[in-house]
Amino acid sequence: MTSVPAKGQVRVFADYDRDVDERCDVVVVGSGPGGSVVAKELAEAGRDVVLVEEGPPFTPQDFEWDGGRSMTRTMREAGLRTTRGHVMPTMQAICLGGGSLVNSAICVRSPERTLAGWCSDYDLEHGSRADLDPHYDAVASFLGIAPTPENVQGPRNLLFKRACDALGYSSEPIARNVRGCRGSGECFTGCRSRAKQSMDLAYVPAAIRAGARVLTSARVERIAMQGRRATAVSGRVVAPFRGTPSWRFRVEAKTVVLAAGCMATPVLLRRSGDLANASRQVGENLQFHPGTAAMGVFPEPTHPQFGATQGYQSLHFVGEGFKLETLWTPPALLAVRVPGYGLELKRHLAEIPYAAEWDAIVSTNRSLGRVVSRWRSLDPVLHWNFHPEDFRILARALFVLVEMFFAAGAKKVVHGVHGLPDEFHSIDEARTHERRELRPTDIVVAANHAFSSTRMHGNPRHGVVDELGRCHDTDNLYIADTGVLPRSPSVNPMFTAMAFAHRTARAIAAR
Amino acid sequence: MLVVPLLLAALAYALWRVLAGYPTPSERYGTLARHEVAFVLAAADALFPRGGPVPPSGADAGVPAYVDRYLAAVPPLLRFLMRCLFLLFEHATFFVAAPGSGGRRRFSSLSPEQRVAVLDRWRRSSSFAMRIVFTSLRAIFTMGYFADPAVLRALRLAPYAIETPIVEADLLYPPIGRSVDEIRFGPQDLGPPSDGRPLDLDGPLHPAYAEGGRS
Ligand SMILES: Cc1cc2nc3c(=O)[nH]c(=O)nc-3n(C[C@H](O)[C@H](O)[C@H](O)COP(=O)(O)OP(=O)(O)OC[C@H]3O[C@@H](n4cnc5c(N)ncnc54)[C@H](O)[C@@H]3O)c2cc1C
Ligand code: SF4
Repeated sequence: MTSVPAKGQVRVFADYDRDVDERCDVVVVGSGPGGSVVAKELAEAGRDVVLVEEGPPFTPQDFEWDGGRSMTRTMREAGLRTTRGHVMPTMQAICLGGGSLVNSAICVRSPERTLAGWCSDYDLEHGSRADLDPHYDAVASFLGIAPTPENVQGPRNLLFKRACDALGYSSEPIARNVRGCRGSGECFTGCRSRAKQSMDLAYVPAAIRAGARVLTSARVERIAMQGRRATAVSGRVVAPFRGTPSWRFRVEAKTVVLAAGCMATPVLLRRSGDLANASRQVGENLQFHPGTAAMGVFPEPTHPQFGATQGYQSLHFVGEGFKLETLWTPPALLAVRVPGYGLELKRHLAEIPYAAEWDAIVSTNRSLGRVVSRWRSLDPVLHWNFHPEDFRILARALFVLVEMFFAAGAKKVVHGVHGLPDEFHSIDEARTHERRELRPTDIVVAANHAFSSTRMHGNPRHGVVDELGRCHDTDNLYIADTGVLPRSPSVNPMFTAMAFAHRTARAIAAR
Repeated sequence: MLVVPLLLAALAYALWRVLAGYPTPSERYGTLARHEVAFVLAAADALFPRGGPVPPSGADAGVPAYVDRYLAAVPPLLRFLMRCLFLLFEHATFFVAAPGSGGRRRFSSLSPEQRVAVLDRWRRSSSFAMRIVFTSLRAIFTMGYFADPAVLRALRLAPYAIETPIVEADLLYPPIGRSVDEIRFGPQDLGPPSDGRPLDLDGPLHPAYAEGGRS
């Protein structure tokens, strides 16, 4: 079903020619997986919704297949954001659809044990898997979440399965919010097949169909409050990519939902007069899933440019704190890890068509960071350090990956660990290094899963929002991004954040 | 009394050593200064010399032009930091000489072997900070090298052509920079969604990456 939007229902940068004043029932800040679910659900429940997004919508014409150039357009700080303390790259998108435009669409439900742990440790009464399943189900059926079909796995994903089978580890095709994947492996730079059901293609159009208005290139800078009630958000229209501010806007609303992402929402709350912070937990408890990857080189071509970006996973080690996945990134970003210089480097590069890349992500519940505001900027400063115990899990995960590559028949593995030989040529060689004490700075890590900076807690003294996403200190200010997850969901966070957002929307609609 | 003129003279000498004596680049660059172009060319060719399994050199692949555009595209603070990075790399050999004779020169004046030795020193440094500097620098150059379609074709990593279905979103948002009044599609243009047919590895390449396509 399609409907042509009314004039002014969707606004892009070129459409603004004066200051904007809007009134509505619910304003949602941020159109990522969290915000767009809320916008659609509430618009369909008959609420007058305005969705405000700082980034522009991207059409296929705007995609850049080149990884570096793409990052300067779709990512905040050109994709070069890092944490301080332990220096670790972490990205956040700036576009309609938020992270869903650039992510691999992996949708995994949090394991029952993880959710039960949240309930007991964070005083949550309705956080079990049985409580969340109806919300997971609703999102899954709307987005067509399904396991990646075999015919678009391609060799580099299927080799992962072979490795798991050989070693007796469980594995499965990854369930994704994708319909009609062609296996182009370019989820990061934008799905030209329009198969990935990113929010700009799925939830936002549905919200528009139900009457929601969408302001893009509109950066919220302040939330206005009267007593315990949020009354409006305001900010500036900003030019795509450059962020140059122009017109002002203000949206008055009966309910305000913040879904600007867990690195942006705390900054907005702080800048608006340290809102919702009686617990002093706004911006605290920031967590990541630090990840590391290794590349195996096989005797036969792997045709790595074919295959779902991330098609296979193993949850075998989730109990130990890590998850294993296949991975593909634009060749330019992959090549950054290839060792050597000059002709030696070129010889290594020529092996990429024979390569597969797999990664491990770690639940680092002991490694807590914080989001701090930066002077005269909405970009956050992120402080984060690796806890030694969490790092040990990462180091172990890396060696499991190495073992898997050899089990799948790789002739060598490039791991990127400082202080070890650039490549391992056999599992025996790798084992001679396995016991070596590594430091966090020895392993190349990156983390694109971030959460918990405005965590949910049943006790208002220990958390920012309640189980339904409402800020404890307010009557009508909600948060619906990954910031509300109390700690690591043990698996990729998007699906769980969307399930929570779905529940938040239902709660607002029921008020 | 002599201290001030001596200090000024020392400063002038230092500036001359840092910024003077660079050749005029053969191409025009919007962002990179003359001394930066020299450094970028030297580093790009040290990382990616001509020949081997992927024939183009860093310069052939247009790395300096890419770095020039990249610097223009990143936020001002990052641009400043990258320029500092280039400056640091170019002049670090004044303080810690490259191996071999005449090693206390700017990076761009060293021999190709010395440049590689300097890169290797950064990469294998026991200091995490030095390794990060190296990794950042290498990342920018590698992205530049891989932006060249000829490099991707040589590696058989160039993207394929893909027919993009017209979907509901195409009726809602215009390309970036255009107004919604300029949206070209209506309900009559909606086609069937992606059918999930696996990519044809013998099929044509993405037009911008095919032989004779955009460079
Ligand atoms: C490369 C990459 C791959 C990933 N792959 C996966 C995956 O496969 N599966 C998975 O589960 N997770 C994945 N993730 C993580 C996942 O994308 C995020 O967890 C998810 O997008 C978070 O959703 P969100 O709504 O909380 O925030 P976001 O997606 O960050 O959305 C927030 C939105 O708010 C907007 N915004 C911010 N500030 C303002 C403001 N002041 N005014 C207006 N708008 C504002 C932003 O522009 C953004 O669009 C990946 C992330 C990255 C970067
Ligand atoms: S692998 Fe390719 S076709 Fe499949 S969802 Fe990702 S970008 Fe789209």
